[in-house]
Amino acid sequence: MLTEAIMAELREAVGADGLIRDQSQLQTYDCDGLLAFRSMPDAVVLPRSTEQTQCVISICARHKIPFVGRGAGTGLSGGATASEGGVVIAFSRMNQILKVDLPNQRVTVQPGVINAHVSQKVAPMGYFYAPDPSSQSVCTIGGNIAENAGGAHCLKYGFTTTHVLAMTVVLPTGEVVHLGSETLDAVGYDVAGVFIGSEGTLGVATEITLRIMRKPQTVQVLLAAFDTIEAAGQTVSDIIAEGILPAAMEIMDKLSIQAAEASVHPNYPDCEALLLIEVDGPTAEVEFHMARVREMCRGNGAWEDRLAQSDTERMLVWKGRKAAFAAAGRLAPNYIVQDGVIPRTKLPEILERIGAMSAAVGLRVSNVFHAGDGNLHPIVLYDAKIPGQEEVAVDLSTRILEVCVDLGGSITGEHGVGKEKQCAMGYMYSEPDLDTMLRVRSALDPDGIANPDKIFPRPRLCGEKTGPYTPHPLETAGIAEYF
Amino acid sequence: MTQNSHPVTDALFTELATVAGLNPLASLQREDTGVTVFATDIPQISRVMRFANEHRLPVRVQGANTSRSEYGADVLVLRMERLNALKEHVWQDMTCTVDAGMPWNSMQAQLKQHGQFVALDPLRPDTATVGGVLATNDSGALRVKYGALRDLVIGVTLVLTDGTIAKSGGKVVKNVAGYDLNKLLIGSFGSLAVIAEVTFRLHSLPRSVETVSIVSANPTSLGKLLLEVSGSQLSLQSMQLRAVSTGFSLDICLSTLPEVLQLQKAELARMAAAHGLSAQEAAHDVWSAREAQFTTAGETGVAVKAAMLPSAIARFADFVRSLGGSSVTQAGGLMTAGFSRITPEAIANFRDELESAGGSLTILQQSSRAAEPMRGTSSRLLPVMQRIKRQFDPNNILDPAGFLEGL
Repeated sequence: MLTEAIMAELREAVGADGLIRDQSQLQTYDCDGLLAFRSMPDAVVLPRSTEQTQCVISICARHKIPFVGRGAGTGLSGGATASEGGVVIAFSRMNQILKVDLPNQRVTVQPGVINAHVSQKVAPMGYFYAPDPSSQSVCTIGGNIAENAGGAHCLKYGFTTTHVLAMTVVLPTGEVVHLGSETLDAVGYDVAGVFIGSEGTLGVATEITLRIMRKPQTVQVLLAAFDTIEAAGQTVSDIIAEGILPAAMEIMDKLSIQAAEASVHPNYPDCEALLLIEVDGPTAEVEFHMARVREMCRGNGAWEDRLAQSDTERMLVWKGRKAAFAAAGRLAPNYIVQDGVIPRTKLPEILERIGAMSAAVGLRVSNVFHAGDGNLHPIVLYDAKIPGQEEVAVDLSTRILEVCVDLGGSITGEHGVGKEKQCAMGYMYSEPDLDTMLRVRSALDPDGIANPDKIFPRPRLCGEKTGPYTPHPLETAGIAEYF
Repeated sequence: MTQNSHPVTDALFTELATVAGLNPLASLQREDTGVTVFATDIPQISRVMRFANEHRLPVRVQGANTSRSEYGADVLVLRMERLNALKEHVWQDMTCTVDAGMPWNSMQAQLKQHGQFVALDPLRPDTATVGGVLATNDSGALRVKYGALRDLVIGVTLVLTDGTIAKSGGKVVKNVAGYDLNKLLIGSFGSLAVIAEVTFRLHSLPRSVETVSIVSANPTSLGKLLLEVSGSQLSLQSMQLRAVSTGFSLDICLSTLPEVLQLQKAELARMAAAHGLSAQEAAHDVWSAREAQFTTAGETGVAVKAAMLPSAIARFADFVRSLGGSSVTQAGGLMTAGFSRITPEAIANFRDELESAGGSLTILQQSSRAAEPMRGTSSRLLPVMQRIKRQFDPNNILDPAGFLEGL
């Protein structure tokens, strides 16, 4: 528990209106987009500047209080939840776009700026900010940095780390440092490269210089309907082998198509597997490539290959795809979204294994993939009210990740490890691998106060995880609930 | 330490040979200044590093020795050239895993069999090794389209000074599990760990490319054109501003379909004409202009890397010329410049100008006979970098001369 004296220090740092202590208000911050992990912070602070953030973190450092930065709270791995007795630093008041430098294609922002607002700001001048996580209309740049956010278009344009040039960062020691530089190749170690994607465990960014890009001359989106996911997957491989690099290639299965239709009516064909392909670039190039792409779709048995006819139609196609997770709520009362990655060519194998595993336990799994880069989002559907079903669902979703690792892939492509996948980290990496990462943490956060208990497996916690689920005594007594 | 106080005693040498599991004649060389070990596999590197760490022997990891001209007092040189195989090329997934000692172009030749490549054009690719290119974070003009090593390396196997063998990243392009240590190792000049094996993401080789050059005595209009082309819809593969005898040349390589290439060349000609300039066919060697800067520098001169904003490229190209040097700068704002003669004051002046414009200067090559070594830009982040260095190499045995003030 934070003492009154510490609360007074925090109030001094951010002002009375920047400190939240009221239990009902604190509840807003007790979880992120992954509702299963909840933890109430002792306090939430809302700094307005780098200086105020530095004051807050210096207080935390002095008293060894755990803290975590928070943007919009849309993360899907429990990364933005507070540790026991901890402070949440929410960046909702640091939401200004500070500078636009078009000749050098750079934009400088505060961490609370919403991802889509960067593109909106520079769109009239013909530019855009490339990383586009599905939550881009609400998620923030600070959160994107913590998670190294991707999105459907990172197949061609890369991840957040590709597009961040420089950052002002407050380290867990309270020091303010500048990572990277406005020019390429800052002198010395690429500390910015390690910071991005470190899920708030190395500090918080308070000012960020991003790279923006010229909007492509032409964008075309194709919807191709297949009878099997394998045929859609083969088409993806064929397109890549041809040397064509589309901006995005996504596959949705029948269940997720139905869910999206029911939710935002994107007018998808009713098929077993829908392949969405976006090709962008100079008009003449796009037209040539799209013609080849359509030939390849038909060659692999697509019975419909329809081009979105207008910007509105194109937006609707993507809206359907980006609503896929939320729409899963229409298929079952509860669901778990996973984020495994496999080498692209292992797609048929993993689908077969997911199919067999889901049939064996009698749960449905709907599938949405960023097929171009082998990033799968299997959605395990279940009903928590049926006794025992949630445990079966959690176990199935963990085993799917393990199969991804067995096939040479990763446990997370863009959602991060957070609290959710800590134990799976031990499956993917050996002890020496993890110890080497922890050396960086020891260097920057010697007291372990920046978002502790995330990413890295804790042997005790993960040791307990094996075997069937046993309810906590508090849960059995009806005092607490497991979400 | 001096060369006379030889720290590798006979006993130590014999022990090292045993530890390394080596036939000393084949894989260990004893020289005046110390011992050279030829790495043969990763467990052996681990044993050698642990041994060196226990005995506090300074170690320098060496690829093809293409990068640096002088060294500090290393006692143990770990040569990687015998670890030189392409371990795996999963062409369907467009990834490959390669030993760090493999020469860059040997790797590319094998990848080419499937029409693929690592989309990077480092200096001296015939001799430079994969590990050396990573350690120095080299990149050329292809960076404009494909990015740098930080965008192309997806996995690294590394060996720490205490012998720990660790993997970072993996074999898939999209992966956010854990810290991205690949980025920390790229450009660390062998000061944190030994890079033993690297996994790259690959690209398809471009099928039709064409380079044009636009020459002018006036760098300002070429600088404007450079920014316009950067913000245009042209299918740009690389672009650089290069000093030539009559002034400067803006070299532009377009990479697209043959059908589209002619359209884009016409568009480029229109853009140039608006500045009163005209495009011509480029000479065959324009993309090896970075090497030429080292020739200019020669044994007695200086070669540098300068980082600047794209909008400042023309100004600094002109500045280098006024200092009597030559330069080539890729469109993202990385310049390689060569000076056959230049005073330390002039270099300091150049450095200050760059720094006040948000950029930086790195000395790539200078004469070992200079009275006082020239200095590049330091980093305000040095204390943080030193903390990282201490965690990875607490006894400071790797690259003890330090590529950047003690790192």
